[in-house]
Amino acid sequence: MTDTTAAGRTGMPTDVVVDSVSLAFDSSPLFEDFSAVYPGGQTTCLLGPSGIGKSTLLRAMAGLVPLNGGTIRDSTGRPLAGRIAYMDQSDLLLPWLTARDNVALGTRLRGERPDRAAADRLLARVGLTGHETKRPAALSGGMRQRVALARTLMEDRPIVLMDEPFSAVDALTRFRLQDLACDVLADRTVVMVTHDPQEALRLGHRLFVLTGSPARLDESPVPAAPTPRAPTRGDFPARYRDLMSRLGADETGVNA
Amino acid sequence: MKVVRAVVTILGLLVLWQAVVWVSGAPPYLLPGPVETLSVLVARAGFIAGHAGVTLAEILMGLALGTTLGVSSAIVIALFRPARRWLLPILVTSQAIPVFAIAPLLVLWLGYGMASKVGMATLIIFFPVASSFLDGLRRTDPRWIDLAHTMTGDPKARPLAVLLHVRMPAAMPALASGLRVAAAVAPIGAVVGEWVGSGAGLGYLMLQANARVQIDLMFAALITLAALAVALYFTVDFVLRKAIPWQPDTLPHTDS
Amino acid sequence: MSLFRRFAIVFAISILATPALAADKLTVMLDWFINPDHAPLYVALERGYFAEQDLDVTFVQPSDPNDPPKLVAAGQAALAVSYQPQLHLQVAQGLPLRRIATLVATPLNSLVVLADGPIQSIADLKDKKVGFSVGGFEDALLGAMLEKHGLTLDDITLINVNFSLSPSLISGQVDAVIGAFRNFELNQMDILERPGRAFFVEEEGVPGYDELIVVANADKLDDPRLPRFLTALEQGVQYLINHPDESWKLFIKGRADLDDELNRRAWTDTLPRFALRPAALDQGRYARFAAFLKERGMLETVLPTDRYAVELAR
Repeated sequence: MTDTTAAGRTGMPTDVVVDSVSLAFDSSPLFEDFSAVYPGGQTTCLLGPSGIGKSTLLRAMAGLVPLNGGTIRDSTGRPLAGRIAYMDQSDLLLPWLTARDNVALGTRLRGERPDRAAADRLLARVGLTGHETKRPAALSGGMRQRVALARTLMEDRPIVLMDEPFSAVDALTRFRLQDLACDVLADRTVVMVTHDPQEALRLGHRLFVLTGSPARLDESPVPAAPTPRAPTRGDFPARYRDLMSRLGADETGVNA
Repeated sequence: MKVVRAVVTILGLLVLWQAVVWVSGAPPYLLPGPVETLSVLVARAGFIAGHAGVTLAEILMGLALGTTLGVSSAIVIALFRPARRWLLPILVTSQAIPVFAIAPLLVLWLGYGMASKVGMATLIIFFPVASSFLDGLRRTDPRWIDLAHTMTGDPKARPLAVLLHVRMPAAMPALASGLRVAAAVAPIGAVVGEWVGSGAGLGYLMLQANARVQIDLMFAALITLAALAVALYFTVDFVLRKAIPWQPDTLPHTDS
Repeated sequence: MSLFRRFAIVFAISILATPALAADKLTVMLDWFINPDHAPLYVALERGYFAEQDLDVTFVQPSDPNDPPKLVAAGQAALAVSYQPQLHLQVAQGLPLRRIATLVATPLNSLVVLADGPIQSIADLKDKKVGFSVGGFEDALLGAMLEKHGLTLDDITLINVNFSLSPSLISGQVDAVIGAFRNFELNQMDILERPGRAFFVEEEGVPGYDELIVVANADKLDDPRLPRFLTALEQGVQYLINHPDESWKLFIKGRADLDDELNRRAWTDTLPRFALRPAALDQGRYARFAAFLKERGMLETVLPTDRYAVELAR
């Protein structure tokens, strides 16, 4: 039976344990016997070149893609189904629903009574007071992603999977959305796939670069400051250089 | 402005019609001119209106019934795989059988009253509606479906909720296309039904007038039918545009 | 060169040269698909009477009986087989048509009910449904017939059943049909083992008229092919009357699909009804029927008979 309650919020933070997982896409192997642990309550960022399988791994965690081998569970061995909220780079807002109804989409699908007040509170939390009854067409890209964020929050799940969630908006909006996400998603287990090294360094408690085929993880050190980090302060620039050389070394074709 | 444009279009068509009569030299018992036809239309307005009312009723009932059947069939096929295998070929066959072959059978089973004409119109409307709605249901953005699955916790859980809240609203624009086609072909169904056997209606009137060599009356009935069909189409289009405000025209607007 | 050889060459050339006198083509539109009502035409064709008149005749079957007279009026065909009652209506609407010959000299139209049904006389039609095939003047016929029995058109419901006269009657969807041809529908119903009872229109208040006629364009009555056509038609009727069995064989020659039970029975029933003198015109009959149509409200004025029908000189 799937667990759709908000247990994660009040209970122990949930780890995501990837154990000996094999995944293929179109018959080319993406992951083989791949293991990793994403610690509960923290944000882990995954970086890597296109096509390496970051999105596929995330979708496998969400239960949307079948595994060819291995399991993805929490640290007590229970499957993750029903405890996941998912965010994509496209806002996936249903164009016929208002912002409020989009936020409450999950409750409708599960046959529960939607809590209008709660949805409105969440919209206020992401800074969209006054826009509750607008349809997505009337909102800007950044605003739509904030609605998606509110929707993610409404799901109130312990694990949040994000696939390049802010890549479709402009740099300034992205910066602000990163701050917002950091704020509202504190204490949840977040696995975020991103293209943007600065974003990974700003938000990640841990940071991994995926390289090779089949892919393996290469940890990169994060700056010492608490998230969301300022790109110009402390050891951020140094860690940035580290990361870039890691990514750059990959691109020159030197394979471990 | 819209009114002016409509008037100009109609006048233009009338002038074109008269030109065709002059240029082709067709005698009035083959092609009456607009003047003769319009004077008959005015002189026997009440008589023609009575028949027009009958045909309009047949068309509207056929639209209602055909739409209901079409929508239901599409939903059944989308939900149940066995239905897809058995019902879909029947759907396609219903379209392949020429209307005039079925018409006498319908008349035999449903009698010479309105029922057979409504049946005829329903048959013609059923396929465009079912096919377009089914297309829409099938082509739902897969990312929305994935999102829905993460929210319900299991790809197989609650297919009805996904159908109701995601697939069906998403398929509305496709259904609207089907309904526009249905509005355009419904008059054909009603009139063919009347040709096979009837006591009233514009099709019946055209047959009678033709037999009595009152070709101007026949053309007057013909214009009335055309006007009905056009009015119906634009009414349906208007209603659909208001009902689906979230999917607007992206062609530059030409109406004021 | 010897005289014989010269002669032979001239002879050969004259044989091979295009003949100066070719047969004239003539398109005759039938009123419906080929049926025994067209017997004299096909007998004339198969006996070579048209060829003897230097006429190369082609018969064309329409799918809509309303079309052929319009095509003749528009000059697209020379002759059409049509119906006297429609002719009056067509001429009134300005179509330039004239009847030049009669094919079937009696009405064939009848009011038919099921023989085992409740309707024994026309008076029993009160509040009943009557099916008709779109002819345009069923009101006129029915009105006269009903009046003779004390009823009016308001006492019945008219339903257009188009061409399914027998099926609609047999299936009980209508209580009677008008427009059924007594040589056809009655036989059809016998074959289907649901025999009908017929009320003949000319016995119930409708003046006699020619059911099938041949019409030509009124502006082309001096067409030299027409008198030749009439001569061949007359010879066709003659042979038909004298040799009915041989004529049947000629009718189905090369048209095996016509050889069925219905056509065989219809053939026998139609034989006595063909006009023995196709070109002859009974002026009074045409005047009388036009007056009848006017009286029933189908015509506004009665035109002089020569506007409807002519007897061509031969």
